[in-house]
Amino acid sequence: MSGQSIWDRLENIPREILYGILLVVFVIPMVFPLGLPVPISSNVETWYDTIEALPPGSVVMIDFGYSGGGEPELGPMAVAVYKHLFRKDGIKVVAMSTSIEGTQLWDRAMDEIRPESYDAVYGVDYIHIGYIAGTETAMAAIGTDLRATTSTDYHGDSLSQFSIMDGINGAEDFDLLICYTTGGDQSEGWVRQWVTVYGTDYMCSVLAMMVPTMLPYQDAGQIISVTSGAQAGEMESLVRVPARGIKSADVITLTHILVIIYVLIGNVAALMKRGGNS
Amino acid sequence: MELSLVIQIWMAAIFTIWIYSIAFRDNDFFKFAEYTFVGAAAGHSLVYGVDNIRRYGWDNLMGGAYLYIIAFLLGILLYTRYHPQYFWVSRYPLSVMVGIGIGLSMRSIVTAEFIAQIKATASMSLLRGDLWTIVQNWIFVILCLATLYFFIFTIPEAHEGGLGIIPKIARYGMMAAFSYSFANTVLSRYNMIFGRLNFLYTEWLPLTGAIIALPVVLALLAYAMIRKSKG
Amino acid sequence: MSITVRKTLPIVIVFVIAVVVMSDYFLVLPPVNDAGTSWTGSAVTSLQNWGIILTAFSLGFGAVNLFFFHSKHISRRTPDQWYYSLWLLIVVVIFTVIGVFLGPNSDQYSWLYNASYFALSATVYSSLGFYMTSGVYRALRVKNTESGIFLVVGLLVLAKNAPALTVYFPVLRDIVSFITGILTTSAQRGIMIGGALGAISLGIRTMTGRETGFLGKLTEEERGGAVG
Repeated sequence: MSGQSIWDRLENIPREILYGILLVVFVIPMVFPLGLPVPISSNVETWYDTIEALPPGSVVMIDFGYSGGGEPELGPMAVAVYKHLFRKDGIKVVAMSTSIEGTQLWDRAMDEIRPESYDAVYGVDYIHIGYIAGTETAMAAIGTDLRATTSTDYHGDSLSQFSIMDGINGAEDFDLLICYTTGGDQSEGWVRQWVTVYGTDYMCSVLAMMVPTMLPYQDAGQIISVTSGAQAGEMESLVRVPARGIKSADVITLTHILVIIYVLIGNVAALMKRGGNS
Repeated sequence: MELSLVIQIWMAAIFTIWIYSIAFRDNDFFKFAEYTFVGAAAGHSLVYGVDNIRRYGWDNLMGGAYLYIIAFLLGILLYTRYHPQYFWVSRYPLSVMVGIGIGLSMRSIVTAEFIAQIKATASMSLLRGDLWTIVQNWIFVILCLATLYFFIFTIPEAHEGGLGIIPKIARYGMMAAFSYSFANTVLSRYNMIFGRLNFLYTEWLPLTGAIIALPVVLALLAYAMIRKSKG
Repeated sequence: MSITVRKTLPIVIVFVIAVVVMSDYFLVLPPVNDAGTSWTGSAVTSLQNWGIILTAFSLGFGAVNLFFFHSKHISRRTPDQWYYSLWLLIVVVIFTVIGVFLGPNSDQYSWLYNASYFALSATVYSSLGFYMTSGVYRALRVKNTESGIFLVVGLLVLAKNAPALTVYFPVLRDIVSFITGILTTSAQRGIMIGGALGAISLGIRTMTGRETGFLGKLTEEERGGAVG
């Protein structure tokens, strides 16, 4: 370390220091919330308006296609949207999962939402028909003939006993498709299997890093709105159900400012070193 | 709070701290948590595999759809891949799966990822409208075509001389796109870290003894890391 | 067994099934039933449901492979490894026994999932955030034009992703909207169209037997033999 200039040290800050400062910046706004403002993006507004415009009697299919790894990001978004749907009169919500952890994560979401507080009844207003293996094969199968694929809900109870499933046989009986997923196979698979084949209206919420790959579909009008789970705070603001999403806003602001500072330090140090050498 | 829920939160919290410890140094606690994760993932897949076979196969078979017996036989034949002599038998169920997959994706990929995308690009106004919109549309079309050129024409002659400007423009556009993805990945991961730290702060630390256990766990981790790095 | 049975027939099956599935989408082939559905419609419905069952069977491969691999470590008592391997297999068995016999939606299985797998999965995914921080710090450096574009766009998007910064500096929204709507979407569209062309050609090559990756390992005879 001796003989190293200040620029050498700033160019090669040990990772323990980087991570340590990052952890501190994570914890401080959690313990002492700052209440920093949260803007509403146009894609979140479009999502909100689409659900707001659903007439009573509409049937919505939701794919709980994310894994446990994506739950901290997508969970709050899924919860906020469900609360919005439950608040509207006469909307039927049928859920399924193309992710192997989907049914467990749906249970977690329901514990957080507490449907009974919205007078939503299982089997009448909402239901979950289970995890179906095969991704696009599963999407195509339930789109073609849901009853030929499955006859039970995720608990194994017969679908015929649930009034929500009356008249629902395939993709053409759904007015809107929503997908939450950590996998490109799922978000793009729905475009190929439902949007292209049946013309179903479709919105998806994916990990922020997946948004760029979905943008061409949105631009071409195949997807109404692509949001990232990181925008859950914005959705919670619109639906007026502040929860984990809003809480993360302070932390995300400060940690991103820290990362920008790290990048600037690294670049300035590299430039000064190059200037010094030449 | 129920005892089972308390134990669940304690287990989840300890696993969370052990996994995060890898960011600083490798240690035996992390390895234990990592192997637990791998085992749990495999077990979970197996459980839902059996559940799906029962719900979508066995129940239908018992309900009178006797042709499903073929699907069951094919599924069992998948496991012949482990036999040194008869591994080729597993190609039959695999070919059924591959055939279905190809059929389902190819029937709509032309419309979804080809025609719709070309239509959307071709419908952009390049001559009419306000100036800024026209400039943006021109940039869009040029970048899109340059990117296509970059991937379709891979022979060296297409990237040299006067034609070299096209892949260069494509690279600049792709750098911007990948940088956007990269910055969004930071956002994603930080959201996930917040989720776990929020769990530790709001659900674990309020439990009796957690605030005392935290420094003990961290001290044990530090000891394990030092021991591992020594040898 | 001849190459016809081991290699050619599976490729023929791929071709036939893919053609049946695609023709059901584009054509109405006779005979057509009273409801106006072609025979391909009921065939495709059955195939789709069989595909679900086959995928369900394939979900066991992970556990089987782990058993083969880790049981070798246990039987050889590989130093510093065998007890981890033993623990891994114990976890697989615990999950399987509880999940299969009590059901994956039982309270007991949900408890086990939430206590272990969910926490581990969420944390493993999120721990990459630390490596990203180190990567951002070390990699986002100007060296040439491409890296300069990478840096500038990266900094602008990082700033826009900080919610409060977008409120205090609204110009960030317009700049990043340009980056998103024009630069990113155009490049991604080009990549998507190129990818679609690649997927179509891969599908046709697989159907015609020119691409045999899905067959797994080929014997010497199979590698040298032609299709048919």
